[in-house]
Amino acid sequence: MTGLELVNVIKKFPGFTLGPINLKVEPEVRVVIGPTGSGKTTILNLISGLLRPDMGSILLNDVNITNQPLEIRKIGYLFQKPFLFPHLRVYDNIIFGKRKDESIGDSEIMALLKDLGIWRLCDRKIEGLSGGEMQKISLARMLVTKPKVILMDEPLSNLDELSKRNLRRELRMVLKERNIPTIYVTHFEHDVYALADTISILYDGRLVYSDTLDGCLKVQKPSSVPYYFDFFGAEGNFIEGIVMQSGSGIAKFRYGAQTIEILGEYPVGSKVGILIRPEDIILSKQALKTSARNVLLVKIVDIKKPAESIGTIKVYMMLEKRLCLVAKITEEARLEIGIRIGDELFIIFKASAPTIVREEFLN
Amino acid sequence: MDVKNHGFNLAVMGLSLVTVSYLVFPLTAIFIFIASTSIPSSLGRPEIINAFLLSASTATVSTTLLLVFGIPVGYLLARFRHIPGVSILRLLVFLPLVLPPLASGALLLGALGPISPIMRMFPMIDLTQSVTGIIIAQTYVASPFMIFAAEIAFESYDESLERVSRLLGKSRFQTFVHVSIPLAKNGIIIGSIMSWVRAVGELGATMMLAYNPHTISIQIFEDNAIGGLARAIPDIFLSIILSITALTIFWLYSAKFTKGSFAMMK
Repeated sequence: MTGLELVNVIKKFPGFTLGPINLKVEPEVRVVIGPTGSGKTTILNLISGLLRPDMGSILLNDVNITNQPLEIRKIGYLFQKPFLFPHLRVYDNIIFGKRKDESIGDSEIMALLKDLGIWRLCDRKIEGLSGGEMQKISLARMLVTKPKVILMDEPLSNLDELSKRNLRRELRMVLKERNIPTIYVTHFEHDVYALADTISILYDGRLVYSDTLDGCLKVQKPSSVPYYFDFFGAEGNFIEGIVMQSGSGIAKFRYGAQTIEILGEYPVGSKVGILIRPEDIILSKQALKTSARNVLLVKIVDIKKPAESIGTIKVYMMLEKRLCLVAKITEEARLEIGIRIGDELFIIFKASAPTIVREEFLN
Repeated sequence: MDVKNHGFNLAVMGLSLVTVSYLVFPLTAIFIFIASTSIPSSLGRPEIINAFLLSASTATVSTTLLLVFGIPVGYLLARFRHIPGVSILRLLVFLPLVLPPLASGALLLGALGPISPIMRMFPMIDLTQSVTGIIIAQTYVASPFMIFAAEIAFESYDESLERVSRLLGKSRFQTFVHVSIPLAKNGIIIGSIMSWVRAVGELGATMMLAYNPHTISIQIFEDNAIGGLARAIPDIFLSIILSITALTIFWLYSAKFTKGSFAMMK
């Protein structure tokens, strides 16, 4: 197969065993999520060659690379820290891994640096660069080697929110352009929605669930999968659609038959993904005329009172018969409005409420 | 400032003043030497010039040898410190620093002199009483300075940078040349200067293994033995100038790259 394949890979540590892991990653962005200590970084280290498995095989484009030295695997690895070489200037860092035979040309490098907005930094020393700039340089340095597989271990975790948002968009862009099998490890929901094509859940050393992003957001939740409910919907509800109108600081995109308005202007035809916090959703039995721009018809599919919550309940809803959304309201509000499973009602939120987590300019 | 802190600061400053005075006071003897001897004319003695040049050149060769053979040991101690046996290796490497120099020289003479079983097999090679013997003795006593400076230098940066280099396609050797050495450069330069200074000042081990030809230290020893301090003053004066020059280079380099005197060794 084209891509990466892990076959019955096992790695044992004192008190913890990873595997057996069976995983296929085609040219796509596979986001691996899981709680701390579940073995996410270990998987990346095994693939990269920083660790050797105790059992099993790692295949890259059908070639067994399990025992290859890491320098010949052609695997790009982006860490939490940028790990730039402090004795080299920015450009020398970027071309550090450039091979004479098959690496990308100078014009291609410049195009990449312009895409990432770092071409002005080429002559700079590493000292004094911002965290976001450093991580972009690290990304460019890795891409210059033309890796056959890309591994990313929470590369945004040490950045501020604005840098994270910018880099997520740029990461998505360069990864989609190159179409290289990519494994992205994180425990941030925003990263998942911004980058994932497919998602795998790693729990206690085992892969317990894999699906596409759409599949993960479906209404029928796999209740037996550990960590699933801890993760999805914790930070917000993800809705993705194609922009059909944009202007005067407002963009409209369509999800099924419903139109959603968000702040910002985006090219018509581009794909945007938004995240709405469960606390920002208002439930109403009527389609109220308010200053909030979004009033969407949904159907209640479940009501739960999480054990850890104090005074609030979670109301699970179905949008357009497929997307699961969750709102957080008080038990008192539920009783007053009279919300029951199976009811149809309206959710209301302002155009300024969602966070834009995914932007893709479609050709 | 509270009274307790004030008292503490005064104590630190007072004790430091005593120590610094103790270290600086002997330097006043330079003026006594200058007043009591005709240094310029004495410096023209050929044996002094020869000894001075011999010390400088053999110390340079010793330092070069340590750059080639000592740096890998420093790297090994830094990177494989968790492997059993490496701590014993560190003790062995440390040995020339704690042994009395005469004892080091005696060991070298036993191992490489005429009584050595190995050297008896090669009677045509004489390592004693030769320039080679001087270099061997200097290299032996100066080696801990280079090795430990290199070890600290290799420990001073994140080892992950070497792994990143390999992930970017560089072999271990390429990584060593393009990443490890440049990142450890400052420490290695400091180690080189310290090794060179130690080699120039070496007396005990050289005396045992290769008394002849005379290095500057042996020349000082011999002039003092023959004609007292007055005869040795020009040699001493030269060696002080050499040491102060080396210390100045060390200080200038350190100040330039670290904005702090000896901080680069950390």
